[in-house]
Amino acid sequence: MELFWVKEMKGLILAIPNKGRLRKPIMEILESIGIMAMDDERVYLSNTTMENLQLLSVRAVDIPTYIYYGIADMGITGKDIIEECGFELYELADMKFGSCNLVLAVREDSPYSIPMDLPQGVKVATEFPNITRRFFNSLGIQAEIIILRGAVEIAPILGLSDCIVDLSSTGETLRKNGLRSIATIMKSSARLICNKISYKTKYNEVKRIEELLVRACENINL
Amino acid sequence: MIEEKFREIFELWGYREVRTSTVEYFDIIKLGAGEPFVDSIFKFQDYDGKLISIRGEITTQIARMMATRLYNENRVYYIENCIRFVSPRDVGQREFWQAGAELFGRGGAEEDGEIICLALECLEKLGLKANVDIGSISIFRKIANYFKIEELDALRRAISSKSLFAIREIVRNESAMEVLKYIIENRGSIEIVKKLVDMGIAEIMEDLKYFEGLFEVIRAYGYEDRIVVDLSTLREMKYYNGIVFEIFLEGIGIPIGGGGRYDEMMKEFGLSLGATGFAVNIDLIMKAIKYSTMKKEGPVRIYYKEGFLEKAVRMAKELRSKGIKCIIAPHRGENNGIILGERDEGTNISNTK
Repeated sequence: MELFWVKEMKGLILAIPNKGRLRKPIMEILESIGIMAMDDERVYLSNTTMENLQLLSVRAVDIPTYIYYGIADMGITGKDIIEECGFELYELADMKFGSCNLVLAVREDSPYSIPMDLPQGVKVATEFPNITRRFFNSLGIQAEIIILRGAVEIAPILGLSDCIVDLSSTGETLRKNGLRSIATIMKSSARLICNKISYKTKYNEVKRIEELLVRACENINL
Repeated sequence: MIEEKFREIFELWGYREVRTSTVEYFDIIKLGAGEPFVDSIFKFQDYDGKLISIRGEITTQIARMMATRLYNENRVYYIENCIRFVSPRDVGQREFWQAGAELFGRGGAEEDGEIICLALECLEKLGLKANVDIGSISIFRKIANYFKIEELDALRRAISSKSLFAIREIVRNESAMEVLKYIIENRGSIEIVKKLVDMGIAEIMEDLKYFEGLFEVIRAYGYEDRIVVDLSTLREMKYYNGIVFEIFLEGIGIPIGGGGRYDEMMKEFGLSLGATGFAVNIDLIMKAIKYSTMKKEGPVRIYYKEGFLEKAVRMAKELRSKGIKCIIAPHRGENNGIILGERDEGTNISNTK
């Protein structure tokens, strides 16, 4: 028996967004350390050029779910998404790219200048109902939350809501839709997250990928 | 069958079964378990308008029973169902079954050691090799106190998600940062606690002695290789005050159970009594057993890289002669079996099967 040198592979699955603003920088980082998907882009679970590593391409908002249940071991997604879902995960590193702010914005012509100015029962349109609820609860303001799936900035002008909670990186979209930011609720950027059990049972593999990704992130200019 | 196994071992260890009530005054649960847990349980009103909840966990109920009915027992166990809210993104079900044990006494390390080893023993008898991560609420509080950090909830969340970034948002003090960084980045044995004492937090000396006592028990039961000290393990329930632990199994993505010491909750109920316990989720255990038998029953897969066909066949012959089923195929990126390749690629077969 001792003639044979073998290996029982303990593969890792890394979840990355299949579209959206984080996809491109993540692909560049992976490529810079020689990790490329071996299958067509539409194959959501693909082997890679690195042995023992598979890439799972799913919606950025679903990544924490896949990781929490241990379907994927590690993943990269936005801090805003991680906060919104509230799952218990390990957040191993701030990848620094894809930074943006989650802001509270009102119509340009409205009288509100700070969050506390907003009235009880204020209508808030957002893609982030949990963060928004927590934020308004902390202010003691009862807010009516309207969940939208994107292009949230248009809601106040059309009269659907009084304000919005949404991501903004330059403020350009807000301005173009007649809005102004009155508070930054949180700062977001891409984070490397990990399933808690995978971290314990596949410690060496997880640490190796973490180191590779963090170093690549520092070396590459995004 | 799983329940029977738990019952058998609990009884062998001298524990007695208790049944708790299906409904309970909401205020009692809130007093024991605290927020945010109580947000996740079903509530309704009694005839007089008082809020009643359906049981969502058992420990608080048992603590209350100890306080109100003066049990002479100090070792009890339960196998009961619990009901909680489930959000649309949760995979779990509203109703789940828990098996658990509670030990009341002086509050010594030997009691926590017994509880942890009992949990491992039950799982062992079910054919599951579980692992345990131990943390300490006591050490966490001492560190927060030592560095005068007041935002305890935020700090607990930051540490338990191992997020250096989140800790940095709360902690300005550089030496505090060094200690917390050490905590989230290191897993090991007692030396982790020792190191904190070396870092100058003298109050932890007490916990170090405690951990030494705990590991003495664990070693006596022969479970030392399953247990890791990871001080970022901090469970959410507000009732814990000493050590806390999480039980997990390879292949199951979330902890299958956990527990810890909760003397402070006993105080809330007016008893000065040490209390420690654990609970595991039976539904997850069923899943794990299915997973492990699946792995066992399936044939061994042998994949060979170019030039290794002969070795693969030789290996298969040997396995088959021992009555082990196996399949041979060329390696095309599979990762669910034995891969025969270059010498520097792996470890010896004896480790894999």
